[in-house]
Amino acid sequence: MEIATSNGPVIDIRHLKKSFGSNHVLTDFNLSVNKGENVVVLGKSGCGKSVLIKCIVGLLPYDQGSIRLFGKEVSAMSQKELDHFRSRIGFVFQSSALYDSMTVGENLEFPLRHHGKEKTKAETRAIIEETLANVGLSHAIDLMPVELSGGMRKRIGLARALVLKPEIMLYDEPTTGLDPVTGKEISQLMLQMQEKYHTTSIIISHDMNCSRMTANRMTVMINGINYADGTFEQLKSSADANVNSFFEFTAP
Amino acid sequence: MSTNPTPTIKLNSFRKGLLTFLEEVGAVTQFAGRFFSQGFKPPYEWREVIQQCYEIGYRSLPLVGITSFIIGLVLTLQSRPTLVEFGAEAWLPAMVGISIIREIGPVITALICAGKIGSGIGAELGSMRVTEQIDAMEVSGTNPFKFIVTTRMWATTLMVPILVILGDGIALYGAYLAVNLKGGISLTLFFHQVFASTEFSDAIPSIIKSYFFGFAIGLVGCFKGYHSKKGTEGVGRSANSAVVVASLLIFIIDLIAVQITELFGLL
Repeated sequence: MEIATSNGPVIDIRHLKKSFGSNHVLTDFNLSVNKGENVVVLGKSGCGKSVLIKCIVGLLPYDQGSIRLFGKEVSAMSQKELDHFRSRIGFVFQSSALYDSMTVGENLEFPLRHHGKEKTKAETRAIIEETLANVGLSHAIDLMPVELSGGMRKRIGLARALVLKPEIMLYDEPTTGLDPVTGKEISQLMLQMQEKYHTTSIIISHDMNCSRMTANRMTVMINGINYADGTFEQLKSSADANVNSFFEFTAP
Repeated sequence: MSTNPTPTIKLNSFRKGLLTFLEEVGAVTQFAGRFFSQGFKPPYEWREVIQQCYEIGYRSLPLVGITSFIIGLVLTLQSRPTLVEFGAEAWLPAMVGISIIREIGPVITALICAGKIGSGIGAELGSMRVTEQIDAMEVSGTNPFKFIVTTRMWATTLMVPILVILGDGIALYGAYLAVNLKGGISLTLFFHQVFASTEFSDAIPSIIKSYFFGFAIGLVGCFKGYHSKKGTEGVGRSANSAVVVASLLIFIIDLIAVQITELFGLL
C-alpha cells in the first residue's frame, strides 16, 4: 500500500513507560508514525497494546517517556487542549462502545454536539447521513445499538470516530470477534476511509488478514517494548522465533 | 501453651475493613465535591437533565403511587382499633396525616426511589463503564462526569421531593378510603381535619430532607456505577451496593434531620 504523504511524525512516542502497581506493562516503547501511515501494533493479549493507545489519547496517564501528537506533548496539555486534540483523533473501541441509550444517529450526533462546532440541525443531519453512507449503513440511522449485528456495530463505531473528520485514527482490535468475511469487509472499509479522509492510523490487531491488508508498517510489542519493526513481509520472514510465532498460521 | 492467632486475624481484618470504609467515605466526599465544582458551571446539559427528570421522576411515579396508597390505607386500618379503644377515633385523620407528612411519606418514597432509581443508575453507569462507553465520551471531548453524573444527580435531587409530595397526597387519599371503610366521612372533611392539625413546620422540614434524600440516592448510585469494575459481576455489585448504601444513608439523614428539627423547636 502506498503512503499518502510523509511530512514528519504525527505521532511520536519515546521511551514510554506505564505500570499498574508491580505490573510493568510498557517498559520502553518507541514508535514514530508519519502522516498518512497505517502502523499495526502486534502483540500477545494483555501485553499492553490497548494501554498504549489509551495513553496516546490521554485516557490513561503514562509514568515516564514522551508522547507527542502533532509535535505537542500529551502530558503537558491542559484539559481544554486535550479535548481540542481529541477532536482531531478518532478512536474505534474493541467493543465499539456505542451509547446504548441513543439511536445510531444520536451516537454520531454526540461528538458533533459536544465539540463546540455550532451547526444547524440540517447541517448536522447531513454530516451524519454522509458518514453513515460512507460505511454503508444509511438505513440504520434510527436503529438502537442493541438491534445491530457485530459487524454493523463495528461500522457504526468507525462512523462515529470519523464524524469529526479526524486526522488520526486509533483502532483497538477492529476485527476481533468477527467472522473472516466481515473482518475483511471492515479492513477494506478502514482502507477506503483512510483514502477518503487521509488519516494517520495506529491499528492494534491480532488479525493477520487485517494486518496484511491495512499495514504500511508493523511493530511487534513484547515485554513492553517495540521488539521488532518492519513491513508485514519482513516480519513474516523474520528468523526470530518470537516474531515468527505470530505469523505461523497465516496463509503463504 | 499454644497461642491463638484468631484475635490478631480478627483485629487485622477489622483494621482493613475500617480502612476500606474510610477510603470509600473519602472517595464519595471527593465525588460529591466534584459535583459541586462542575454541576453549577456551564455548559449546562439541559437536554440530558430533562431526559433524566423524565426517566427518574415520571417513570417512578406509578411505583411510588401504588406504594404510598397502600401505606396510607394500611397505616389507617392498623391505627384505627387503638384509637377506637381510647375513644379517639375522630383523631384518626389528624394522626395519620401527621405521620405521613412528617415521616412515613418521605422515608418510604425515598426508600422506594433508592431501590428503583439508585439501582438503575448504578447498573446503567456500571454497564457504561465496563463497555467503555464512558471512555468513548471522554475521547469525544465530552466531560463524562458532567454529562452523565451531574445530570443524574440534579435529576434525583429535584425529582425525589416532587415524588414525596405526590406520594404524600396519594397516601392521604388511601387513608381517606380506609377511614371510609368503617364510617362515613367526606373527602373535604377528611382533608380539613388533616390540615387543621398540621402546620407548615410539619411539611417544610420533610420537604427539605427529601432534597437530601434525592441527592444521596443520586450520589451513591452515580459513585457506585462510575467506579464499577470487574465486568458484568461488577455491574451487579454496583447496583446492589447502590441500593444498600443509599437506603442506609436515608435513615442516617432522617435521624440527623429529626435532631435538627428538634433543635429548632419544630417538633
